Amino acid sequence: MTVFATIVELTLRALLGRRRTVLLVLLAALPVLVALLARVSGRTPEEATLFDAMVRTVLPLVALVFGTSALGSELEDGTAVYILAKPIRRAQVILAKAGVAGSLTGGLVVASTLGSGILAGGTLATTVGFAVAAAVAAFAYVVLFLAASVFTGRALILGLIYTLVWEGALAGILEGTRQFSIREATLSLAAALAPAGSGIQGGLELGGAVGLVAVVIAGGLALAIWRLAGWEVRGSD
Amino acid sequence: MTVAPPTSTPGSSVVEVDHVSRWYGNVVAVNDISFSLRPGVTGLLGPNGAGKSTLLHMLAGLLRPSSGRVNVFGQTVWRNPGLYARIGLVPEREAVYSFLTGREFVMLNARLQRMPDADRATAAAIRTVDLEGAADRAIGTYSKGMRQRAKIAGALVHDPQILLLDEPFNGMDPRQRLHMIALLRTMAAEGRTILFSSHILEEVERLADSILVLFAGRLAASGSFREIRRLMTDRPHTFHVRSSDDRRLAAALVGETAVFGIDLSSGRLAVSSSEFGAFTRLLPRVARDARITLLEVTPTDDSLESVFAYLVRR
Repeated sequence: MTVFATIVELTLRALLGRRRTVLLVLLAALPVLVALLARVSGRTPEEATLFDAMVRTVLPLVALVFGTSALGSELEDGTAVYILAKPIRRAQVILAKAGVAGSLTGGLVVASTLGSGILAGGTLATTVGFAVAAAVAAFAYVVLFLAASVFTGRALILGLIYTLVWEGALAGILEGTRQFSIREATLSLAAALAPAGSGIQGGLELGGAVGLVAVVIAGGLALAIWRLAGWEVRGSD
Repeated sequence: MTVAPPTSTPGSSVVEVDHVSRWYGNVVAVNDISFSLRPGVTGLLGPNGAGKSTLLHMLAGLLRPSSGRVNVFGQTVWRNPGLYARIGLVPEREAVYSFLTGREFVMLNARLQRMPDADRATAAAIRTVDLEGAADRAIGTYSKGMRQRAKIAGALVHDPQILLLDEPFNGMDPRQRLHMIALLRTMAAEGRTILFSSHILEEVERLADSILVLFAGRLAASGSFREIRRLMTDRPHTFHVRSSDDRRLAAALVGETAVFGIDLSSGRLAVSSSEFGAFTRLLPRVARDARITLLEVTPTDDSLESVFAYLVRR
């Protein structure tokens, strides 16, 4: 087994073995449950509303928990020493951790999107387009939060501030903040991928959305690798 | 990883610590320390908070010195992960991947070290630390001593030339300690360089060929254990003595060369001596000759901290 695969396996077991993962699965299942309840009560759930809820809450929160705990938990409790005191490149560690956290987040969000989209009875092209955009955004969010966790032990709080304040409250007041909003980039990507008249709207041009996601992923990975190379153990006497 | 493990010149120092300091804001954790390590066992002795872990972490490349340099096999250890192919580290912190079994944890270390036969190396390391009976249980169910042995197995699995162990005997029962001491002695005899920290003098005495005494971030003493032990034992001691006639006992003691100070001002007899062994033999003899009954003899400054403080003041 390669070093990369070893870190992937360890991270998967660490993330999936936690109780909070069950809560994340339940959170991701919420749009599906809402769509199901609407169907049972004889109403037709709006696809765009479900997707909006997905991109506002489920996607950033799932990414926040997986992104900050994939490596951040180990850096905090000291177990990261067992990986870092080995002759391996820091890039391998970051790529493996981001890959696992991004895949788990993307997997949950895509499953939830497809489930709720099908129940809503919308067009398959819209659902698939949104799922693809959400999967890409999952990696952007995860890389952002993972990089934050390498810099600070308060990445969870910073992530909440970013999603709730920057992307939530401020985006409604200051239009300029949307230029740096992964949420807006996700909606813009989904709008571009879905057929016309899907009802999905983003606050960015397609080029800007692609650029933002690319910069966040590439820049976040580079910063995390650089920071991890100079990481110092905490709690020495 | 393509970084080739460095080689060392025979007879040269394996680890060089040159005027190393480390501070956190205004707090100096390690203050201008220099020493070198050669193959054998070296004990890093000092009370809690002396800076032992900080120093070990700098030696392991997990902390950057604020000033000075740490070289391992002639290379700086900071930001040099290639060196970890030749270093084994046992951190003091108890946190281990509790969801892994002991065997999985050791296997993880073997794979991350790219051992060609990770299964065999894992089995050998587990056997070495005598953990075979519990190897397939989750580490979360381990006692502290078992967890320590799993950590040591993980550090040994790639047969490193340098072993850095931070308080390795914590939580081990006496039998496990003896086993581990024998193991580390064997490894040192095979030419490895072993540095372990402890705040327990007896542990260091049993295992170390040479010691480094750390107190309040400073290197208080270094050298052979025998020499440091003599310094510790022969340092000035003060005893509070209660007897049937303190004043007459003071008069009898004042002429003895092993006694350099007598104080009755606080209402009780305090005797200072520069020779611990000589004084403990002298006092009962003098009391017997003067027909005085000794009721109580109490050393006033026998804590390890006071010993370290004395070594720093020398």
